[in-house]
Amino acid sequence: MMRRSRQAGVGALFLLLSATNAKAHILGARLGDFYAGAAHPLTDLKDVTLWVALGMLAGSLGAKQTRPLLLLFPFGLAIGVTSAMALNVTSEGALFAAGALVLLGALLAAAAPIPVVALGGFALVLAMMRGAANAAAIGPETNRLLFVAGLSAAGYVVVTLVSAATLAFRGEMADARAWRSIAIRALGSWLAALGLMMGGLALAS
Amino acid sequence: MRLLAAWIVAATLLAPAAILAHESSLGVLELREVRQGAYVGRWTMEPTIGAARVDLRAPPHCFLHMPQLECGAKGLVGAMTIGNLGSRMSAALIKIIPLQGETRSYTITSANPTVSILGSEAPTLESWIALGATYLNYGVDHILLGADHLLFVFGLIWIVGVGRRLVSTITAFTIGHSISLAAAAFGVIGVPERPLNACIALSIVFVGVEIVKQRRGEAGLTARYPWAVAGGFGLVHGIGFASALAGLGIERRLLPAALGFFNIGVEIGQLAFVLLTLALIWAHRRLGAVLPGARDPLPGYAIGSIAAFWFIGRLLRVLAID
Repeated sequence: MMRRSRQAGVGALFLLLSATNAKAHILGARLGDFYAGAAHPLTDLKDVTLWVALGMLAGSLGAKQTRPLLLLFPFGLAIGVTSAMALNVTSEGALFAAGALVLLGALLAAAAPIPVVALGGFALVLAMMRGAANAAAIGPETNRLLFVAGLSAAGYVVVTLVSAATLAFRGEMADARAWRSIAIRALGSWLAALGLMMGGLALAS
Repeated sequence: MRLLAAWIVAATLLAPAAILAHESSLGVLELREVRQGAYVGRWTMEPTIGAARVDLRAPPHCFLHMPQLECGAKGLVGAMTIGNLGSRMSAALIKIIPLQGETRSYTITSANPTVSILGSEAPTLESWIALGATYLNYGVDHILLGADHLLFVFGLIWIVGVGRRLVSTITAFTIGHSISLAAAAFGVIGVPERPLNACIALSIVFVGVEIVKQRRGEAGLTARYPWAVAGGFGLVHGIGFASALAGLGIERRLLPAALGFFNIGVEIGQLAFVLLTLALIWAHRRLGAVLPGARDPLPGYAIGSIAAFWFIGRLLRVLAID
């Protein structure tokens, strides 16, 4: 055993001393377009506001309502983008995004109790629509698998972090009259207003 | 945590698809000065997209019509840009061979598509800033695009958990790869690229095995001495980082600064990844999502399988079977 270790050591030393400098990158495992997929929605106001609004709504409803979204939302994004690629349909979906933001903001402002199934269904549809909209960013040279993985991972990260932060801010047993709950509801009304403005802009252009 | 693992595994499983896309994406352009201010360009390593499709832009006072580049009395000084770097050409190296003085090399990456050509005089403050921005970006880019490095760090986080032990483990990894990065970049040690890449993959297999051991209730080497394992394998990964610099042929007078900025960039990228992972762990706990904890074997098998896949692929390259 000792002898074998010594031989291995000598071999390693020989390798270190005799070799020329390594002369290339480690290119064996590069994520490339994964980041393109992850970054694209984060540079679009429609996606950022919608994802944050959905995360806030889920977080304000509680952990139980949020948990299904951690899978459904990224899954919906992946389905949306792959369907759009397969059907060769790309749409900005500006009006739908604006309408969805108004709805999310209004629900948040109203502190409406939403069943898990309804929230999950809405999140899935929303994710599919936004996934399809993001397909427009895929060029002929883009690695599609990595792009889809990046987009879905970004959706997962944003919804998870925002909903957990909202839940932490609100507290487990939130009182509707507590200032924290009121602050979340106020933010909801701002999001609804932002949605109205986005809708107006989409209709005007 | 199970969800987090599933996502990271899914993302990393897709990484092999990118291997071929990036394998020969580096282009090397040599600009040789044939008379004062006049250069002749030649691609010594042609990028996959083809030399004719590279959108190369010279400083405004220069006239570029490949293979000729005319810069007049001012010489080749100023910003050079490649406008179409992407997945099929992630970086380019521009080597300038002047009539007098040392050969100078500049790296253009998709994260930093413009470089400042310094000229043969002593670098100015502006040129130091340009150098810093280039290599800082390159360092961040290198770690964040390297799924193998990230997976290794993720495995360490999984074994040691959150807290003081994680700080010492990540610090040891940082110290380890900084030492070997410097040593390899200055030519103190040299390791052929292919076996090195195979060793990096093997280090991740080791971490996967350690996670499975932990699940069985055995205290593996990483669980007992995380800083030693992280530091030791950090040395291996550091040589890998250095190979990224060595291939770019930076001139010797700029190497310490380039190395420093590159290492800082690597640290920034690594820290961002660690913080994001910790934030997701916190979020999962807060939401009551299923946490497998240290005794769940799934992450160990997933990490080990992916790394074993990489290891076999890289080993075949060592044996030149590909």
